[in-house]
Amino acid sequence: MSYMFKQLSREWRFMLRQKYLLVLLGCAILISGFSVQSGLNEIEQQQQTIERLTAADAADRTDAQHKHDEIGMLAYYTFHLTYSAPSNLAFAALGERDIYPWKHRIKMLAIEGQIYESDTQNAELTQAGKIDFLFVISALSPLIIILLFHDLFANERSSGRHDLLVTTAKSPWALWGARGAIRFIAIFLCLMLPFYVGTWVSGSSLAAIGLVSFYCFIYLAFWALLSVYWGRNASSAPKVASGLIGIWVLFAFITPILGDLSINKLVHSPKGGDIVFTQREAVNDAWDLPKEVTMDAFTATYPEWKDHVAMQSMFEWKWYYAFQQVGDQIAAPMSQEYRAAAKKKYELAGYASLLSPPLLLQRMLTRLAKTDAVAAFKYEQHLRDFHQELRLYHYPFLFAQGEFDKGELDNMPNFEKFVTEQQNDRKTDSVQSTNK
Amino acid sequence: MSGHSSSMAPFAKMMIVAKDEWRYWLRSKLAISVLAIGLLLTLSSVIVTAINTMELSHTRHELQNDADQTFVDQPDRHPHRMVHYGHYAFRAPSPLSVLDPGVDAYTGNSIFLEGHRQNSAMFADQKQGTALTQLGSLTPAFIVQTLAPLLLILIGYSSVSRERESHTLTYLLSQGTSGFTLIAGKGLALMSVIGLILVPLTISALFSLHEGESIAAILGFILGYALYLTVWALLVLLFSSALSKNSESFTALALTWILLCVVMPRVASSTAITTVPAAGKLETDFAVIAELRKLGDGHNANDPAFAQIKASLLEKYNVDSIEQLPVNYRGVIAMTSEAKLTEVLNEFAEQRMQTEVNQTQVSRYFGWLSPMVAIRSLSMLTAGTSIETHHKFLREAEDLRFNFVQSLNKVHAERLTYQDDMNRNKDLDSSDKARVAATNWQVLDDFSFAVDKPSLRLQRSAPAFLQLLAWVAALIIVIRWVGKRLV
Repeated sequence: MSYMFKQLSREWRFMLRQKYLLVLLGCAILISGFSVQSGLNEIEQQQQTIERLTAADAADRTDAQHKHDEIGMLAYYTFHLTYSAPSNLAFAALGERDIYPWKHRIKMLAIEGQIYESDTQNAELTQAGKIDFLFVISALSPLIIILLFHDLFANERSSGRHDLLVTTAKSPWALWGARGAIRFIAIFLCLMLPFYVGTWVSGSSLAAIGLVSFYCFIYLAFWALLSVYWGRNASSAPKVASGLIGIWVLFAFITPILGDLSINKLVHSPKGGDIVFTQREAVNDAWDLPKEVTMDAFTATYPEWKDHVAMQSMFEWKWYYAFQQVGDQIAAPMSQEYRAAAKKKYELAGYASLLSPPLLLQRMLTRLAKTDAVAAFKYEQHLRDFHQELRLYHYPFLFAQGEFDKGELDNMPNFEKFVTEQQNDRKTDSVQSTNK
Repeated sequence: MSGHSSSMAPFAKMMIVAKDEWRYWLRSKLAISVLAIGLLLTLSSVIVTAINTMELSHTRHELQNDADQTFVDQPDRHPHRMVHYGHYAFRAPSPLSVLDPGVDAYTGNSIFLEGHRQNSAMFADQKQGTALTQLGSLTPAFIVQTLAPLLLILIGYSSVSRERESHTLTYLLSQGTSGFTLIAGKGLALMSVIGLILVPLTISALFSLHEGESIAAILGFILGYALYLTVWALLVLLFSSALSKNSESFTALALTWILLCVVMPRVASSTAITTVPAAGKLETDFAVIAELRKLGDGHNANDPAFAQIKASLLEKYNVDSIEQLPVNYRGVIAMTSEAKLTEVLNEFAEQRMQTEVNQTQVSRYFGWLSPMVAIRSLSMLTAGTSIETHHKFLREAEDLRFNFVQSLNKVHAERLTYQDDMNRNKDLDSSDKARVAATNWQVLDDFSFAVDKPSLRLQRSAPAFLQLLAWVAALIIVIRWVGKRLV
């Protein structure tokens, strides 16, 4: 034990004397620290935005409900805020939350007309990409590791010490093992320490921290071993490093780009614009169609209102909302195809990322942080389900004639409650299924 | 390299050094394969992006025509129904977006235009993306901005340090070649590589002449990239001459590349987002709604907010009730309230765009620290694919929206009587009476989006040019100084 410790402490002192290693380590901790800091800032801003939006939304809804009495008008003027809050781990992997919208305000009108609205950040900054912990680990750290490890042997060889060192050392492990271990531990700590501070600030779960540490360890070890292996016999350090950087370019850029090109060729999806267009046309045509056409299409899906579709005047709210629903129905096949294509693309990208370690790590961490496309799909599904709930809440008041009692407004679905209920349902479901 | 007399002109000596460098590259497999891969990548990115852009341009023109046609083809209707029926505006890509698509993939390129609302652009390509291209996509801009410097480093890191390591440097210097001439010769060789990289870029850019791009913008674009790559060639020369060993020169250059090309652009955008926080559209919408409530609801002619308009109208036409007005009161209200509402919406939209420009400005200042950030802004600004161009699209689409909505409101006020309008929901006959002929739908302005004038784009990219020139100047000064001390 003490022997190993001696080797390690010797190599530690040796490393402290090499200025460029210290520069590299310094850069690593600075960049990692900056990325964690800006990730925390970004998440903080998102949370504050949600808080402000929730307050404004509640005030606005109360206001609208105060102003109108008729259920049709109430439905028309009442908006509902929906959002997907960032997870505790999101600061480390901001993921695609700047591409997929994570907040919407919707109302009773056709959902297909509302769901594609995006409220995203400055496009030019999004395009440049942001620096988060995940970027530092997946894209940058391989380069730092390469610079740290590529000359492990070559450096000694070119300065003529190699053979002397090998013959005087007790075993190759005592020398290269200790040297490699010290460098690895140093870089691992420099990269991870800011992350641990971040998890402490954001209150992430221990399990998540453990998993992230494990993934990062494997990933960094992969690059370290690759660098050592690649450079084991070389005498020219720059040649080793150029080869390694070439591998990095291949993994980080070329493979993903080729994967992206082929997936986009492989998966065809309807144009988003066409969905909205179809839905719009359907809704607008309805004004001039005989009322029965709309009502028949509506009751085909909701037969329970079959006996309540007769109209007394040229305009009634139930008909208005019925044709909104019918507009959704007409656009539904395209919309489903659009979503299926997006999911298919995500799935295929999973296979592509098996050929690219940086992408694989990105996928794993964004999944863990719930900031990936899957999380976005899930939010979209929640949004659609909530919209359905909202419609189902209104239909009895719209179709079964009679005065609307404003006391009923208290029972109106609320997105926040809706999501928690759904999650609870799922939990009890899984408990029941395990009990069986 | 031996045997040349010291009385030769410095330029001839430089040429000899440069030729010798090329001979070395051709002999070493690494340099030549790196060069081949680099050219292959540039070429394929140019081709792939050109095909994509042509497809996009074609579909967008087609979609715009389709949208115009469907609008005009609508049957007889109540004019306000057409206000809600709405219209689409599509953004055709700029000619140079073949080389730098910029924000296109992130902004979405179509807007649905309707009464009382300013929608955001929809269907950004990225949302149907694979998330694979977060680090970079196969665009010529990305390849030349990020990978070309790496290429220059790989083939040039040892240009001077190699001579030192193999002890040919003292020999060369003692023969009367000055340090600066040697470095300049090596630089000449690197410049010829830059020339090679720029060939596919230039040819592709010249093709955009055909799409209506101006020669000035193309020249600015290519010159920008030439300056940018020159900065990298100078950095390579500097490290190679200042550091004593090949490995040191390589490590230092690799680290510089990581910091300037990979880290800085992202630090710039992260800093910009956190220092200039921007409220999202959803959030500003609340402020807009609060402001709009004061204006009254244009659908409800009895809204007390319109009492003043009513009074002044009655006075103007010298009548006692709105029924007696020669114009349709509901149409007039729709028109006035749309105008006021648009004023409010535009005020907020302008604020929002200003914030975005301020944010972008912060990130562009990082061009003084990283030539990569400078060329990024220069490239997007000159190509007309920057945030400014997107804003121009938003503004023009809004003009289009306002004009057709108001034209329809005018039809509403002048072609439909107040009585018919009020009775529209009574029965089928009255509903038919409250319609106007489809010939009134010829109110659309032709919408074809064009990027800003080349002079404006070049003017916007002037700071980025300055940043690159400053880098070049500073590096040349340092290299001259190092060259004098070359041993």
